[in-house]
Amino acid sequence: MLKVENLNAGYGPVNILWDVAFDMNDGEVVAILGSNGAGKTTMVRAITGMIRPTSGSVVFNGEELCKKSSREILDKGIVQVPEGRQLFTEMTVLENLQMGAFNKETKAHFQENLERCYKWFPKLEERAKQAAGTLSGGEQQMVAVARALIGMPKLLILDEPSLGLAPNIVDDILNVAKTLAQESGISVLLVEQDITKALATADRGYVIENGKVSLSGTAAELAANEHVKKAYLGI
Amino acid sequence: MDVLLQAIVNGILLGGFYALMGMGQNIIFGVMKIVNFCHGEMLMVGMYLTYMLYTYAGIDPYLALPLVALIMFFLGAVIQHTLITPSLKTKSFTNLLFLTVGLGLLLSNGALVLFGSDYKSIRTSYSQTTIPIGPVSVALPRLISFCVLIVVTIALFTFLKYSTVGKQIRAVSQNPVGAEVCGINVKRIYLLTYGLGIALAGIAGCLLTQFYSIFPTAGAGFGFRALIVVVVGGLGSIPGAFFAGILLGLLEQMSALFISPSYSDMIVFITFIVILVVRQLIIMRRK
Repeated sequence: MLKVENLNAGYGPVNILWDVAFDMNDGEVVAILGSNGAGKTTMVRAITGMIRPTSGSVVFNGEELCKKSSREILDKGIVQVPEGRQLFTEMTVLENLQMGAFNKETKAHFQENLERCYKWFPKLEERAKQAAGTLSGGEQQMVAVARALIGMPKLLILDEPSLGLAPNIVDDILNVAKTLAQESGISVLLVEQDITKALATADRGYVIENGKVSLSGTAAELAANEHVKKAYLGI
Repeated sequence: MDVLLQAIVNGILLGGFYALMGMGQNIIFGVMKIVNFCHGEMLMVGMYLTYMLYTYAGIDPYLALPLVALIMFFLGAVIQHTLITPSLKTKSFTNLLFLTVGLGLLLSNGALVLFGSDYKSIRTSYSQTTIPIGPVSVALPRLISFCVLIVVTIALFTFLKYSTVGKQIRAVSQNPVGAEVCGINVKRIYLLTYGLGIALAGIAGCLLTQFYSIFPTAGAGFGFRALIVVVVGGLGSIPGAFFAGILLGLLEQMSALFISPSYSDMIVFITFIVILVVRQLIIMRRK
């Protein structure tokens, strides 16, 4: 469903991504792994249209996305949970979730999607009237994930969901992502530094180093790879 | 006692204008993090617009209000689109400072060229009508203006709190990146916000025309007071701006009554400086 080829992107004169290529199938959880500064978030920004790639192609369900605006890409069904959550901290949880409904279709299905989100994350229903900034880090991440789900993604991108969270909360969120992929056929692109957890969740993975894809394979293959073991898993 | 009551009523009525100006400045600052240094001049433009509509088209100032607001909204949107959005890219505070200060100078000197430096005023059939409220008498235009102001404040508050666009404005002011992730067109919100802020200044200008002279620098004092209202009332808070505006008006009238009208400007700004210093000390203590 998603095919990225020769993707080059950066900020101004600084190129960060070098010919990145990967693909994803429907209902698949694919992990993009790499250490801090490897270019993972730049890649997310390039795919979602928040920065314009300098060259290459991003084809989603047969459509080229490279020249499209971030809004058009959202309309196609690629929704991200951004790094650092980017919530509206002084607005209530419910208002944050309302902002996730960005077009007619998602607005029309808001109520049912909201109920589904409350089923995934019961805490959010309790806290619906509370300002998002008063929630714990884990709860805030739940709001960010729920806000993305309100947008009815076909492809959900999770950018560093583990950042600054307790391990058991990370597990909860990754479980939701995996279940979503299995049950509703949503593809999940999991961008992570925490490689152990990411490989435990994902079907396949790509390792990014210095803005280039250096390794790829199934989760099991990557977990068994000597380089991954040494460089990332500390074994 | 009656004099005191009269001063209180006048202070509240005057404070309403400061509140209106402060709310406009506040919404612009909240969303774009820029100080609009030509806010007072926008009020002046609103005054001349009302004056022209009254003199040349014979439209009553209160009937002209929606039209003035609309014209000012579009003026603001055009300025935002052609001047401010491009300069926002530089991320330079000085750049935007010079831009808005320069725009203000351009507007007040433009008015000087077009209308001359003499004071103009609008005198309607009801300009001099006063309404007795107990021991106090209130000029009818001031009373109407204050009612309009209350309606505008409530409308603005409701708009920001409950409407979709209002929520989008708040979302952009709290987290522009998050807003883009949610598909909000941030540039469009900037356009709307600046237009709205300028429309509020225009409304204040329109309402002022019946009891305040119209001249090219008429807005300056109001522009400065709008800044005070924003700082004292709290950034992004509409009710805060409203009450800060009223308090400012009261302070001014009280100092005019008890000390001297010619010192009231000085007292207002000294109080402001004291508030700033005291607040800073409290913040430092907490840390």
